[in-house]
Amino acid sequence: MTMSTAQRLLAQKQLAEVRAARFASRKRVNQVALTLSLAAMAFGVFWLIWILWETLRLGLGGLAIATFTQMTPPPNEAGGILNAIFGSLVMVAIATFVGTPIGVMAGIYLAEYNPKGWLSRVTRFVNDILLSAPSIVIGLFVYAVIVARFKSFSGIAGAVALALIVIPVVIRTTENMLQLIPPGLREAAYALGTPKWKVISSITLRAARSGVVTGVLLAVARISGETAPLLFTALNNQFWTSDVTQPMASLPVTIFKFAMSPYENWQQLAWAGVFLITVAVLALNILARVVTRSKH
Amino acid sequence: MSTTLEGAPAREHDVSSTFPAPAGALDLAAERARVSRAEPPPAKVPRSGPLADRLFGLAAKSAALLTLALLIGILVSLVMGAWPAIEKYGLGFLTRSVWDPVQEDFGGLVMIYGTLATSAIALVIAVPVSFGIALFLTELSPAWLKRPLGTAIELLAAVPSIVYGMWGLLVFGPILSTYVQQPLQKLLAGVPYLGALVSGPPVGIGILSAGIILAIMIIPFIASVMRDVFEVTPALLKESAYGLGSTTWEVVSKVVLPYTKAGVIGGIMLGLGRALGETMAVTFVIGNMNQLNSLSVFEAANSITSALANEFAEAGAGLHQAALMYLGLVLFFITFVVLSLSKLLLQRMQKSEGAKA
Amino acid sequence: MPATQVQAPERAKISVKDLNFYYGKFHALKNINLEIPEHKVTAFIGPSGCGKSTLLRTFNRMFELYPEQRAEGTIALDGEDLLTSKQDVALIRAKVGMVFQKPTPFPMSIYDNIAFGVKLFENLSASEMDDRVEWALKKAALWTEVRDKLQQSGSGLSGGQQQRLCIARGIAIKPEVLLLDEPCSALDPISTAKIEELIAELKNEYTVVIVTHNMQQAARCSDYTAYMYLGDLIEFGATEQMFFKPKRKETEDYITGRFG
Repeated sequence: MTMSTAQRLLAQKQLAEVRAARFASRKRVNQVALTLSLAAMAFGVFWLIWILWETLRLGLGGLAIATFTQMTPPPNEAGGILNAIFGSLVMVAIATFVGTPIGVMAGIYLAEYNPKGWLSRVTRFVNDILLSAPSIVIGLFVYAVIVARFKSFSGIAGAVALALIVIPVVIRTTENMLQLIPPGLREAAYALGTPKWKVISSITLRAARSGVVTGVLLAVARISGETAPLLFTALNNQFWTSDVTQPMASLPVTIFKFAMSPYENWQQLAWAGVFLITVAVLALNILARVVTRSKH
Repeated sequence: MSTTLEGAPAREHDVSSTFPAPAGALDLAAERARVSRAEPPPAKVPRSGPLADRLFGLAAKSAALLTLALLIGILVSLVMGAWPAIEKYGLGFLTRSVWDPVQEDFGGLVMIYGTLATSAIALVIAVPVSFGIALFLTELSPAWLKRPLGTAIELLAAVPSIVYGMWGLLVFGPILSTYVQQPLQKLLAGVPYLGALVSGPPVGIGILSAGIILAIMIIPFIASVMRDVFEVTPALLKESAYGLGSTTWEVVSKVVLPYTKAGVIGGIMLGLGRALGETMAVTFVIGNMNQLNSLSVFEAANSITSALANEFAEAGAGLHQAALMYLGLVLFFITFVVLSLSKLLLQRMQKSEGAKA
Repeated sequence: MPATQVQAPERAKISVKDLNFYYGKFHALKNINLEIPEHKVTAFIGPSGCGKSTLLRTFNRMFELYPEQRAEGTIALDGEDLLTSKQDVALIRAKVGMVFQKPTPFPMSIYDNIAFGVKLFENLSASEMDDRVEWALKKAALWTEVRDKLQQSGSGLSGGQQQRLCIARGIAIKPEVLLLDEPCSALDPISTAKIEELIAELKNEYTVVIVTHNMQQAARCSDYTAYMYLGDLIEFGATEQMFFKPKRKETEDYITGRFG
């Protein structure tokens, strides 16, 4: 169908008018959508700032020297949270030292030994589920296996529960980091006649070192704030103990108990505890980022 | 670990199956080459060959198997612990709403309802907000703002849930009560269904509070996944849509979203999985009442995680503990299904990425 | 040295004056002056990195999606400057359509792919839309192959068919200019031949500009050719004349394959 020039120009003009007419409402919809998107972003940032601000304000207000030097007090008496801080440090440390090697080795298996085999695929799947699974269920499991068996709550049980949370995080980050190492590096090592275990430990793992460290830092940050797995494993202890076979106080559980109470001094100590945990977690996260970035 | 001048390995060892070395042949050749060059014999280097390799591989494999064992172990121990309650109530446990530790009569409906209701509220709030954030980060944000904002969202995910819980109870709750709940109640008083929905005591705790705090907690997870899948949309596809004269919103809603459908849903299910299993953020503000008096979202209630958190330590061995374990099993089962679906969807998104690339 | 140009006798659909383009600090297009004749096929040729795609993408302001890219100068479409026009860029892009190097079917049915652009700009009834889809597919020489599977996904087609789908999609909104950015580079020779046939048809109703790294294709398909090198327009003229008797030595060197 050929048209004369005049016909064609007229058709074009009419079409342009139709388009322009519709466009006004399309433009409006677009602007509304983009404004809402900006609002959503502001919404998210707003909560972050508010939560951090309140934690800072109320937490700093509750801090004193006594917080770090005295044990958890009975209601309405002055005191500190030293036993809770200590307990947290001990359990987090044990969990990290136990969970990291297991996580790293499993990550190595997934990345270096038969990554496409059925064991790797199933393990990867299961690991991702465990990564996001409810941590209170981990607590139930450790209760059934350790606490019920030995008929006593203990710091060890708490540490084991935390270790079971460290492992999936470390597996995931270790595998990801190892996968990023170019195969050429491994091949060069093999070509020199290096045995496999040494290629992995001295070459590949070393190259992925900063990424693995980041993963461990993130795992530590995660378990520092975990409460649920400790609730019925380590339970709580209002006195000082360094015996890991006894119930141990921890910051999160102490905060839980104190914050839900009606006593003001307890609530203040709870804020101080929350402040300490938040600072520790944010510091670890920032440290993890610095470690990753310094590598590149 | 030196190489001879000719490049052949100086000693033979059992490298892994990927690089099989013919045993013995290289040794002989190397020996002949060395003799012909009249070199002194190489210094004896301790062989750390086959045994170390095998042990190392075994250790790695065991660690992977441990993960599987953990999952199975959790399942088995939950079933075993819940057995007295499973035996007594069967599946009816899920629909009974009585919870009486004294008379030893239990039913999980209140907690299951609480878990589902708070998670539903959380999703209703979090999904649109996360979408807006992902849209902002991928299409609207100036380049210099992308990284700090992305970091801010990730920090929101790093904040431990106990912080959310405490903040929710002592800071947010009172504000919610004064500025949202009380006015809402006055506004909707007498309205047939909606009025009943907001009828409970407006003191800042209850299902609504817990739902809102859960929403804030899961926003960073959903937003991150959405942003990641939006970003792998091929630029050429977006340019095609822009080239036809689409506005930004049209490109995102009509081309990018359908393209990333599987990933978006996978991300939402990931957030749901987290919301279902969250303990501390919910326990602080849900009110811990084992009763379902009304459908009001202002009413105190209980979720599976908060019931466990509050009662398990004191519940001695017996039916009470078994009932709680049963709840734990139900929760584990639900989150397992949701997280598996999420993983499958996200894998499907990745696979189609690979196919198209 | 300024470009050697032999002006086309036809009316200029697009008039480029003193166009400079920058990727950040990199000066990618240097003082381009060019007139694209209406209802003809103009080819941009030149070695990799000469700026032919960059120039093409200024015609529909595609570069605006990327903040570090900017254009200075004038690009007049029917006399109105595209770069400073008060019209929203979406309306400009409705007039200047583009097909890309790789086929990019949207994740929807063939029918919806074609209807996508039309729905944005026009309010057609169901039967009018059906007609438009059929018309566009016929124009793109794809109708007979897909008429029975319009509801199937666009990604189920072969590469050549997908590219013709993209052409149909671009035509459906009735643009005035069609920009083709190496449209056959991802296709096999048979599909390429089909598309080249199509291009010859399309110029009856549209002004076509095609970027190609394949000189033989330019020689086969185009009426006019512009040779570019390192951001400069070296020569522009009728294709036959440029390929048989190029006026500039640089053009001759490229065309005879002395460098690539």
